[in-house]
Amino acid sequence: MQLKIWHKMIIGISIPALIALFGSLWTYEYINDVKDRHGYVQIADDLRENVLEVRRNEKNYLHYKDTDYFNYLIASINALNRSIKIIPPATIDEIGKNDFLLLNETATNYTALTERLHDNFRQEINSIEQVREQGKKLENYATTGKLSAGLSLNFILNLRRLEKNYMLFRDRDSFSKLDRALFQLKDLIPSCYECIPYVEAVRSLFASYEKSDSVIRELQIAGDNLEETTVRIAQRERQHIAWFFTKTQRFMFMALILLCAIGPLLVYKTASYIVAPIIRLTEITKKIAEGDSSLRAPLKEHDETYTLAVSFNTMLDNLQLTHHSLEKSLELLHEQHMEAEKRASLGFLVSGVAHELNNPLNNISLTAETMKEDLNELSTEELKEHIQDIVTQSERAKHIIEELLDFVGTRKSAVMEKLDIINALAESINLVANQLKVSHIQLKKDIHKIPVFIKGNQNKLEEIFVNIMVNAIHAMKESGELTIYAKPDVNEKFIIIEISDTGCGIPEKELKNIFEPFYTTKQHGAGTGLGLAVARSLVEKHFGDISVRSEVGKGTTFTIRFPLYEEENQGPVAVGRG
Amino acid sequence: MGDKLHVMIIDDEPIVGKRLKRLLEKEDFVVETFTRGSLAIEELSNKHFDIIITDLMMGIVDGIQILEFAKTSYPDVRVIIITGFGKKETSEEAFRKGAFDFIIKPFRVEELREVVHRAAKELKAG
Repeated sequence: MQLKIWHKMIIGISIPALIALFGSLWTYEYINDVKDRHGYVQIADDLRENVLEVRRNEKNYLHYKDTDYFNYLIASINALNRSIKIIPPATIDEIGKNDFLLLNETATNYTALTERLHDNFRQEINSIEQVREQGKKLENYATTGKLSAGLSLNFILNLRRLEKNYMLFRDRDSFSKLDRALFQLKDLIPSCYECIPYVEAVRSLFASYEKSDSVIRELQIAGDNLEETTVRIAQRERQHIAWFFTKTQRFMFMALILLCAIGPLLVYKTASYIVAPIIRLTEITKKIAEGDSSLRAPLKEHDETYTLAVSFNTMLDNLQLTHHSLEKSLELLHEQHMEAEKRASLGFLVSGVAHELNNPLNNISLTAETMKEDLNELSTEELKEHIQDIVTQSERAKHIIEELLDFVGTRKSAVMEKLDIINALAESINLVANQLKVSHIQLKKDIHKIPVFIKGNQNKLEEIFVNIMVNAIHAMKESGELTIYAKPDVNEKFIIIEISDTGCGIPEKELKNIFEPFYTTKQHGAGTGLGLAVARSLVEKHFGDISVRSEVGKGTTFTIRFPLYEEENQGPVAVGRG
Repeated sequence: MGDKLHVMIIDDEPIVGKRLKRLLEKEDFVVETFTRGSLAIEELSNKHFDIIITDLMMGIVDGIQILEFAKTSYPDVRVIIITGFGKKETSEEAFRKGAFDFIIKPFRVEELREVVHRAAKELKAG
């Protein structure tokens, strides 16, 4: 995905924000709808009120049946119609077209029925007038005796009473009583001409009443329909509102859950999506910091961390280059340093040799010059002494050269063979025994009783031991104690030889130099300055090591270790340069 | 005897003392030789010397110490340093501390003689 961090952040923040925004818009729309619906309910309620007004007027009209109430009824129906007409068609579509069609139809029908009823009522009045007129005539006939035989006044009067009752009650009971009485009249006098108009008038009233009743029934049904329709509309609108509320509530709840569930998840995902490359980079840098400089930051991402990773890698490359060149410089410096050290030690060696050789040379030349100058003045004894001095000093110079050659190892290599080091040590002690006696030095020995074999050269080993023992004797001057220890170590890998004296000791600052060639604390002439250097060189040729510890005023101990002879290294072996 | 110059020779090589003593005594100097610096210093604290010829590198007490001691005790003393090997720094140090001259071994008798005479001439003039 080629998204920058800020793109990822915008996406991460936008999605929950969009959910919230859509939720809000939806809710806003819902509330608008509810507002509309509330208006519709109002309209439905108004219509219902109109209808109720119509019904009230209808009832009054049916009761009083006069023109005034008829006019009220018509007015209220017109008011209803007007109310329906002012409703915009869009609203009608929303509320329910069918209901309004029905409402309109029913209202029109209702108006027609009302008018028909009004006509009927007028007819009814005429019929009633007719019945009353004929009834009076019939009554007159009865009282004047002009009536047919068999028709009593009482019967007529009873008939008029029934007629009055019927007009008053207009019910089935009074109707059937009147009807029966009329049939009796017909039975009594089939040819009562005077009765016919009355009977016909009553019959006409019957018909008129019946017609009115049927119209009234129809009118009432239409009224009920009107009422039902308006009630239904109002109810439906209320239901709509209730449904909207439930729906909104549910939607809000869903949105809340969605936000709660998806929001943190989305934020977490976005955060980890942003942080992941940074973490990867951090881990790599940590590994690099721990020393794995060959690692490079991965170039997976295409956001800002890509640039960072590229810069980081470039920086690492540069660092590595610098590191390499530094290492090279350091190597060069080291080489130069080694070279300088070599030169310095060579210089030290050369100046040491010069110093050591210059002394006997000076003695020789001085003596020779003296002899030359004073040849005639010198006695034979003096001449002999001078010549002896020259010989001795020549020997001294020769000895220095020999030791020097020993040290640098250019003399014939010594044959290395299996030998008993204990024996070599004992021979060395014999060589210095006389010196010990002269210097009044006591010898203490702690030496292994049975032979210990190493690979070495008897003469060289003796040279090592004698060198060290002579050093010790010189350190003690006139008296003291020389201790020689020689035993294998615990693991039987080495023989350890310790040569200790109770002499003047060596100061710590000089201790590190005592194995250097021409380093001497002795008076000039007392040593060549090569003894310990030669000893160390020889010890190393025997694959051993030599160390020293000393305390000023108490004494010095030299410790030498040689590896013990191993069976696979059989036979004499020559080491060193030819 | 009173105007004879006193010469002290210190060198751990006994031959140097022996030969130079004979050489300088012939030239009318009074000569004493030492092979140890410590003994020489002991002698210096008791007795005045006009010229000191000393080896530079000796055991415990070296030529520089003798030079310092002599120059503090007798500012007029002429100290001639002889040494087995000449290092620039050592000769510079010796001159700074008041050495009269610096002779490197092996030296010719003539060389030494010339330096000693020069010192004697200076002393007699001063």
